[in-house]
Amino acid sequence: MPEIRLEKLVKRYGDVQVLHGIDLDMAENEFTVLVGPSGCGKSTTLRMVAGLESVTEGEIFIGGSPVSHLDPKDRGLAMVFQDYALYPHMDVARNISFALRLQKRPKEEIQAKVREVAEIVGLSEFLHRKPGALSGGQRQRVAMARALAKDSDIFLFDEPLSNLDAKLRGQMRAELAIMRQSVQKNMIYVTHDQIEAMTLADRIVVMHGGYIQQQGPPEELFKQPANKFVAGFLGSPPMNFMDVDLQEEGGIVVARGDGFGIAIPAEISNQIGKNSGKITLGIRPSDLNYDPNAAEDRALDLQVIVSEYIGAQSVLLCSCGSTNVTVELKSETPIALGETLRFAVRTEGIHLFDRATESAL
Amino acid sequence: MQKERQHPAFYALLFALIFMSVGPIFLMFVNSFKLDVDIIGGTTGLLFLPTISNYETALCDILWYEPDHLDFCSLKFGGAFINSLIIALISTLLTLIIGCMAAYALVRFRFMGRDSASLTTLMVRMVPPAVLLVPVFGLWNNEFCIGKETWVGSFIRDTLGGRGDVCLAGTHSGIILIYIAMNLPFVIWILQSFIVQVPRSLEEAAKVDGAGPFQVFFQIVVPLIQPGLAAAAIFTFRIAWNEYLLASALSDRNTKTVPILIVNNMSEFNVEWGVIMATGMLLAIPPIIFTLFASRQIITGMTAGAVKG
Repeated sequence: MPEIRLEKLVKRYGDVQVLHGIDLDMAENEFTVLVGPSGCGKSTTLRMVAGLESVTEGEIFIGGSPVSHLDPKDRGLAMVFQDYALYPHMDVARNISFALRLQKRPKEEIQAKVREVAEIVGLSEFLHRKPGALSGGQRQRVAMARALAKDSDIFLFDEPLSNLDAKLRGQMRAELAIMRQSVQKNMIYVTHDQIEAMTLADRIVVMHGGYIQQQGPPEELFKQPANKFVAGFLGSPPMNFMDVDLQEEGGIVVARGDGFGIAIPAEISNQIGKNSGKITLGIRPSDLNYDPNAAEDRALDLQVIVSEYIGAQSVLLCSCGSTNVTVELKSETPIALGETLRFAVRTEGIHLFDRATESAL
Repeated sequence: MQKERQHPAFYALLFALIFMSVGPIFLMFVNSFKLDVDIIGGTTGLLFLPTISNYETALCDILWYEPDHLDFCSLKFGGAFINSLIIALISTLLTLIIGCMAAYALVRFRFMGRDSASLTTLMVRMVPPAVLLVPVFGLWNNEFCIGKETWVGSFIRDTLGGRGDVCLAGTHSGIILIYIAMNLPFVIWILQSFIVQVPRSLEEAAKVDGAGPFQVFFQIVVPLIQPGLAAAAIFTFRIAWNEYLLASALSDRNTKTVPILIVNNMSEFNVEWGVIMATGMLLAIPPIIFTLFASRQIITGMTAGAVKG
């Protein structure tokens, strides 16, 4: 289970540069999730590791040795594709055993391996069906089984769940998490779905515009986002951003915006020093609690515009002066549209970002 | 609810179309069982005494008995039939092998001059075979020859007999070569559209699974373009089987094909219609069998289930 290291990885298509020097270390048996919006370079990075895209500059190391000049087949990895890429003219058993047959393994060994892998993913009854006769979820399992059968040390997933419907996706995500516990391998998983990233990852790598924005364990990225992009990308509903002025009022630093003023706790204001002025304040919806009795300098007064009922919780889109703010509320709370409600801000939920560089203060 | 009924004119039109397409074949079939006297007389129509003597004449060189009405077997249908089979089958096979590889390269590989190569392929298709006839005849007879004094040439002359230099003209290979050249552009063109439809991720998956370029091609791409190969095979075989012009110039007594044999039955003094009809019927059988066999490979939706669409 070798570690994988990317060193100053650059990818250019003609004049267009899509990756700007990616540096990444993935430890043994680590589940790394590359996450980001479409076109951020995450799939390109994965395909370069797989050997399906050439490396323009930089180097990929697997287990310490450079591999960027090797063909995909010589890199010892298995990959699950976004669109499954099952061989339609082979039945499930032959699909799973394709790699083994290419290696000219003995027949008994191949059969045993196919049975073992089919057992893991729950496909034992379908071994003689063609992919065309399987449902979406079953095809996904075949793709997974095919990768598992190869016995390679590195697993690559290219948005494997994005083609499934929402319910199946949740189910497969759970199965993947279970499989993850028993299969000790290096895994790199590409997704644009931040929930998949948060639930599966040992380490999340958030990418945007061909750069790595931040990497680390999910909790770290969620609690201490390095910049405004990471803060807005992780978490659902996304973080609210408001433009504020930092002002010192009677010994307390207050973030004053359009129609509100929130006292910044001393430990934060001491950290950011005296560079007061125009900054961006970020607060997650989960850090805003409905509390009519909260003190004015610890709360936002929000006017409800839209209420989205999603079961136990409702997501309220509110206006706070000129900006829109999303909050969550227990559905049984009686509210009316247009009503103004007071939400208390949890002090540990206050994030401050530089307005120009967008990095966290 | 009203039952939908077609206008009577619809059936009249349908009948006319069927008559036009099946009529000549039916006429040929009927006439192949008539004596020449009955055919030319034209009086009897469908009332006649059927005879298989035309078929006996046509097949006289491969029959196990000597037909009563023949003194001498002049028509070598059996030999020509085998020539036709050899030429049509081998040229079809080679055209498909070369064609699918060329099409794959044109679709998947980036190389200099790819677009012009693709365009030239299509333009060559526009050249009528008649234009090729004279230059090819000259080349095959005079240029593409192995001198009889050379080691290879004398070896061929010693083992196979014959006189003069060993030339492409008059050999099976000569005809096969020109048929391949004639059919290749179309096959490349039709197979390109099939290869484009093979999802790229299938090839990538095979690469990651450990397949080399040739394994990807033969184990993944070729099985998936099977319908295209079958369609191209039917087309190529039919052209090679029917071709008259080039074969008439490039074949000799021993390598002539069935279409040429049929025309040879027309002489200045006598047209043996009955035999022509019989050979025509026999000529039609192999393409029908081949088409039935090949069309079974055309299964729609071969790539169904490969990728999520």
